[in-house]
Amino acid sequence: MSAKRDRILFWVILTAVSVLFVYPFLWLISASLKPRDQVFDNVLIPTTWAPGNYVSIWQVAPVLSWFVNSVVVAIAAALTVTVASAVVAFGFAYFRFPGRNALFGLVLATMMLPGAATMIPVYLIWNSVGLATTQVPLWAANLFGSAFYIFLLRQFFLGLPRELFEAARIDGASYWTLFWRIAVPLCRPALIVVAIFELKASWSDLLKPLIYLRDPALYTLPRGLKAISDQFGQAGEQRWEIVLAGSVVTIVPMIVIFFLAQRHFVEGIATQARKG
Amino acid sequence: MVRHLRLGAIVTAGVVVLAGCGGVGADSGQTALTTMGFGTGDEIATTRVALADKAVAPFPVKIGGSAFDAQQFLSAVASHTAPDVIYLDRQLIGTYAARGTLEPLENCIAGQHIDMDQYRPAAVAEVTLNGKVYGLPESYDNRVLVVNNGAVRSVGLRPSDINPADRTALSRVTATLTEHASDGDVSRIGFDPKMPEFFPLWAKASGVQMLSDDGLRANLDDPRLVKVLEYTVGLIDQQGGWGSVKAFRDSFDFFGAKNPLMRDQLAAYPVDDWYLNVLGNVSPNVDMTVMPFTDTAGKPVDWATGSTWAIPAGSRHKDQACTWIKTMTDAPTWIAAAKVRAAKRRAQGKVFTGVFTGNKVADKTIFSDLVKLADKPAFDTAVRTVLEVQDSAFSMPASPAGSEFKSAWQDAVNRVLSGQQKPTEALAQAQQEAQLAIDNAVRRQ
Amino acid sequence: MSTVLPEQGSRIRSWVTGFRRRETLAAYGFLSPWIIGFLVFMAAPMIASLVLSLTDYDALRPANFVGMSNYQQLLLDPKVRVSLANTLIYTVMMVPGTMVIALALALLLAKVGRRSVGFFRTVFYLPVVTPKVAVGVLFLLLFNGQVGLINSALSLVGIHGPQWSTDPLWVKPGLVLMHLWAVGGTVVIYLAALKNVPRDLYEAATIDGASAWQRFRRVTLPMISGALFFTFIVETIAGLQTFDEAYAAFYGSAASATYSSDAALFYLIYLFQQAFQFLHLGYASAMAWLLFIVIIVITAIQVRLSRRFVYYEGR
Repeated sequence: MSAKRDRILFWVILTAVSVLFVYPFLWLISASLKPRDQVFDNVLIPTTWAPGNYVSIWQVAPVLSWFVNSVVVAIAAALTVTVASAVVAFGFAYFRFPGRNALFGLVLATMMLPGAATMIPVYLIWNSVGLATTQVPLWAANLFGSAFYIFLLRQFFLGLPRELFEAARIDGASYWTLFWRIAVPLCRPALIVVAIFELKASWSDLLKPLIYLRDPALYTLPRGLKAISDQFGQAGEQRWEIVLAGSVVTIVPMIVIFFLAQRHFVEGIATQARKG
Repeated sequence: MVRHLRLGAIVTAGVVVLAGCGGVGADSGQTALTTMGFGTGDEIATTRVALADKAVAPFPVKIGGSAFDAQQFLSAVASHTAPDVIYLDRQLIGTYAARGTLEPLENCIAGQHIDMDQYRPAAVAEVTLNGKVYGLPESYDNRVLVVNNGAVRSVGLRPSDINPADRTALSRVTATLTEHASDGDVSRIGFDPKMPEFFPLWAKASGVQMLSDDGLRANLDDPRLVKVLEYTVGLIDQQGGWGSVKAFRDSFDFFGAKNPLMRDQLAAYPVDDWYLNVLGNVSPNVDMTVMPFTDTAGKPVDWATGSTWAIPAGSRHKDQACTWIKTMTDAPTWIAAAKVRAAKRRAQGKVFTGVFTGNKVADKTIFSDLVKLADKPAFDTAVRTVLEVQDSAFSMPASPAGSEFKSAWQDAVNRVLSGQQKPTEALAQAQQEAQLAIDNAVRRQ
Repeated sequence: MSTVLPEQGSRIRSWVTGFRRRETLAAYGFLSPWIIGFLVFMAAPMIASLVLSLTDYDALRPANFVGMSNYQQLLLDPKVRVSLANTLIYTVMMVPGTMVIALALALLLAKVGRRSVGFFRTVFYLPVVTPKVAVGVLFLLLFNGQVGLINSALSLVGIHGPQWSTDPLWVKPGLVLMHLWAVGGTVVIYLAALKNVPRDLYEAATIDGASAWQRFRRVTLPMISGALFFTFIVETIAGLQTFDEAYAAFYGSAASATYSSDAALFYLIYLFQQAFQFLHLGYASAMAWLLFIVIIVITAIQVRLSRRFVYYEGR
């Protein structure tokens, strides 16, 4: 029948859409390798190659420290939120105790709380303890877990057979042992999903670095890219080639991580939908 | 598994410690003089910074950031980690002085015997609020008219036909000079009124003072201001409208050899004087005519702005800060820097067009001894024109809400340019916003 | 206590003794990070923000109590109106746009062979991992009305494109298009939901003589309505808090403020400016509360709607 023809048609459409999705990346990489006056020529293969743009950007901005800062902050954010959310999620999943449902309802409710609503007092808190111009506020709130991840991990912990824990209890294992030795190893895939999601969120964040980071030496890459674009972009010296090279430097690490951990990204998102 | 977990915990702890140290360490480095808003891009900056550093030596100096960022400055003040020196637009001084974030410089000026008469009076007026001086002026930016001779001649006109005094003629000439590509997009801007940036210049040329001398009463709903806004926006509309003119301008390479004058993308427009220095560097052979911008009676009008050095109230090294900014703006410092640039340009076979400083004494030496333009008549005229209009320049009065006032009129012009509002309502709204901001600032002072 | 019925009394007693149990203590131990975090970073800040919104606090000078005047000013401030309208217009275009395109792509992906799904899914997902700040920077270049890639491409097919980056009428549609580039996340969610639809439902429908459209309308849509609803809410909340792309493209430096036409002034951007560029912390707190209420109301409406349209398994 026409099923095969349909499939070919779908394939053609998807290929066309894929070109649309990939082309901006190709354009960006190509334009970042052009001299300033050819950035806008919209030719895919540069007429004049200017790989020197990538040298210039290291000269005008401390891109390497920004990269290191981004890595440190993203890892700190991901590790803390994963561990803390897992601890709390286990608390909700394993124990029966008074107030559990009310508290869990509260956790779910806080998912709706927009970050903007608490932005100012939280800034004042960090300011009052003298940390408002450091990188600490970018990740330290993660030490207390995050509602969405708690929700996600609780679902995974609930899926573990209870007999496992009961057996360990009889053997005299502490609650902490149940968590570290049994629950965590068995839910490793879920923990990786959480860590990778937070890694991506933290890597991309612009708002918090804008609020907190003042010293350019402490900038993360997105904050640094914003600074580069202010100085060299439309409103500045219009050295677009620098801005473009900066964009590539900001994007590429995340894309590399994506290819390394693709499976977890896709699984993570798909789970969101099922559990949601 | 246990080993893995231990490792994880150690890594976490390590990262926490690292991040903490990185953060705190950078901030606790308060044993140096810190600056904000100034980038050491060219030889003029580096030469002067070296001299200023020497003046406070052995006290170390840490230069930070590139452009002044209001948010970064205020958050620094709020967190009691204010920098010792800031560099910012003079029009913003009033706002920060009124909020108590800046140190009045009386002690600095008296204690270190700073000769205030060496600075241009219009610049000093911009940084003086309620009789107190809050800054030492750095640059002195003037506005003059640049005409692209090739473009003008190509349509059978002379540069002198670009005449801001005769507005009807100017809009006719603009129409002649404007070119469009086959698809209807603008390919050469005939005359760019430089809106919204130069609105105060146009206002003054129409006899309107946008802000009272004491900086406390906005005058943005003046009917003559409405008319001049209508006129300037009309100039842009007749060339294809703001959308395409702005998008076209966004694609210009203003700072490169393929700048809009060399590529014939612009026929005439008012510019900041420092742009002449850019041209002298990237296209010394540009075929242009520089003339004064004039009011409707043909009398030259020049709006002077510029940046300034100031000391935040929270600075912990006020004496060193004072010495440092004194040296930065001192005549010998400027002259030394100008000499370095002149030599550099000469070595490159390019022209040295001077530096337009806020220091009269420095300018005098620079332009009489260092600037030699006999073989570059276009730049010679340009520099003469700037020097000529400089003395009669006006500046925007300092106001406790200078920053908000500037946003109010800029936003109003933008709303009209983009077709969201008519000039009358846009300026009425701006008047309301500006006056409210001024009143609020006065009330909280 | 005399009014408490015996049964109720014993429940209370067991509730109280429940707290003394070792397990309960351990449970609260496990929950303590979240409880502390909730108190310090959510509950206290919400109350603080309410108090701040009644003052003129600016972190530089002591606060004065100003009553409701910040809220009065909210109603009068033209920029609050503009930014709220911008945000709602953007969200209203972006959310359905994202859902429709994501669903279309997911349906297509579900129809092609398993091996090619992986490839296309990767391609669609790449923009999702691209930091939004870079997306905003790219926007100005790709969407420049004169020399940008988008209009050059449109002119190939004879369309004279609009001035995306400078015409206030087209800035938001342009930003929506740019956002749709990152539709891949939603595509993956829908694809996972589509895979969970039992095959036999389609077979049964086909036997009953249902057309392709009817199968989509009567089987597919109800079966993935949970995922649709989830993305509806998540995307709406994200839309109402749009910041990165527009801020990166149009705000942040003194020079960019010169040309600000307010067409891309989203609520969170204005809130950020008031809070951290002007340190009008009292006023910005009032703005934050307004945003909070707007989000709560919109979400509540969406949840009500969902009761009518979402099909829950086993109900």
